[in-house]
Amino acid sequence: MRLYFTRNPHLVYIMPAIIILLVLTIFPAILLVLLSITDYELGASSFKVVWLENYNRLSTSPEFWNSLKITLFFALITTSVELVLGYFLATLLDREIKLKFLVFACLIVPIAMTPSIAGQIWKLILNADYGIMNHLFDKILGFEVSWLSQSNALMSTILVDIWQFTPFVTLILYAGLRSLPEDPYEAATMDGANRFQLFRYITLPLLRPIILLAVLFRLIDSLRIFDIPFSLTEGGPGNATEFLSLFIYRLGFAETGWLGRSSATAVILLVLIIAISFLLINLLKERKDDTI
Amino acid sequence: MKSNTKQGTVTRISITLLIIVVSLISIFPLLWMLMVSLKSGRDIIDPSIWIFKPTLDNFKEAIQYRNILGYLRNSFIVVIITTVISIFIGGLAAYGFARFDFKRRENTAFWILSLRMLPPMAIVIPFFIMAQLLNVLDTHIVLIISYMLFNIPFAIWMLRGFFEEVPEEIEEAALIDGCSRFQVFTKILLPLTTPGLIATAIFCIIFSWNEFVFALFLTSTSSTTLPTTVNLFLSITGTEWGEMAAVGIITVLPVLIFAMLVQKYLIRGLTFGGVK
Repeated sequence: MRLYFTRNPHLVYIMPAIIILLVLTIFPAILLVLLSITDYELGASSFKVVWLENYNRLSTSPEFWNSLKITLFFALITTSVELVLGYFLATLLDREIKLKFLVFACLIVPIAMTPSIAGQIWKLILNADYGIMNHLFDKILGFEVSWLSQSNALMSTILVDIWQFTPFVTLILYAGLRSLPEDPYEAATMDGANRFQLFRYITLPLLRPIILLAVLFRLIDSLRIFDIPFSLTEGGPGNATEFLSLFIYRLGFAETGWLGRSSATAVILLVLIIAISFLLINLLKERKDDTI
Repeated sequence: MKSNTKQGTVTRISITLLIIVVSLISIFPLLWMLMVSLKSGRDIIDPSIWIFKPTLDNFKEAIQYRNILGYLRNSFIVVIITTVISIFIGGLAAYGFARFDFKRRENTAFWILSLRMLPPMAIVIPFFIMAQLLNVLDTHIVLIISYMLFNIPFAIWMLRGFFEEVPEEIEEAALIDGCSRFQVFTKILLPLTTPGLIATAIFCIIFSWNEFVFALFLTSTSSTTLPTTVNLFLSITGTEWGEMAAVGIITVLPVLIFAMLVQKYLIRGLTFGGVK
């Protein structure tokens, strides 16, 4: 045993972390999958194995498909808008600016602000009757919007997410832009490259790992979002903003206590997220292997 | 030439304006929350009132009747303990990844990163059942351990990047002078990478302070943290908004002040070891 550790000195360092992480993931994952094939209800004393019935029921449930659809829509829209907007703002900041630290201080506010609380204050800001947003809209544009109604709630949730996380993307890309070497730009400018060419052939490839990282963080975070819509809309009105996490919550805990079916949905969310992060992490990994 | 500089000025002014607008949008909800929290009576639901006599009544109410100080204490306990343990365990592992070559190293490292991506809502269901069986629901320890699942992978990923920036020769010199590997790690590498440790700690603290799903499911009256206070105000009317805003300010202010103080490190840490 001693000899084994002498031969593999790294194990002493990485083992504590690996053991903790394995215990915290393997048992819960097995338990979750087991739950998903039972009809267990919250607080029930007995249950039976129903195999794939929970999954079958989900596949014919319009609520589930709606939830999946709006989750994917939400994730795609927020991630791409935040990426484009974030890049644009990062290039704006990547120059001499007076009081830059103050600008950063402002941008850090959404990043550090508790999302559940942010959702709540936005609920007040967007309130149709006494929210400041409609007050301003009325004064300046002469009309009001029912921000949190059935047809607008999803868009409003997207707006709040963009407000909260664009600064995060901005600062990541800013840090990335700052770390770029200057030589290739000088060489390319001498060769007569225009700004688009500089962006396409120099910035983009050099920034690729950072962009991938930003996409990874934002895409995964918005696929598993729970806190903002929980306090902003509670998944409603109706099912308008019932993202997968909220669907799982309502099914298993808030309304019905069907833990079995809720777990089946959780397994689907888990598989979806593992697949997407596997894909993105592999892209990151390729890059890392190149540099070694 | 002259028109060129003129155009330059116009561009510069519009960029400045744009930056100011973006900054204002970023902080507006916080300012609005602060304003509402200082209002009283009917002013609270009247958005046209910008000038008023500020009062601390909402804060007093929240502290007196909503036990906000209890939430605050729980938040501090959970966040500090989970961050310290995660950085210690994660730091050790990061050192292992940074300084030793072993089979399947990159695969293991990327497996660890992928754990950071797990959806809390899926993990919390089995955690809830297990915590119930072990009789640890509504304790600090259950949150501390749950947050380690996210903080340890993150700490490993961040710290590895910072450790790899330190030239190995420095450590080799110390090894020759008779230091053990572990001494080299604690006495030489850790002091050299303090900015990295701070940057990692900030993100662990922000994440744990703001985490909602685990806190909502695994804790209730005696150990729950500040973000779950939204439950107190879900169906809310009239002047209660004032109290809600006060509680919101108490929740976001500690971590916000902290983030401002260490701004420099936070921005440095934002490349997450992605650029080498």
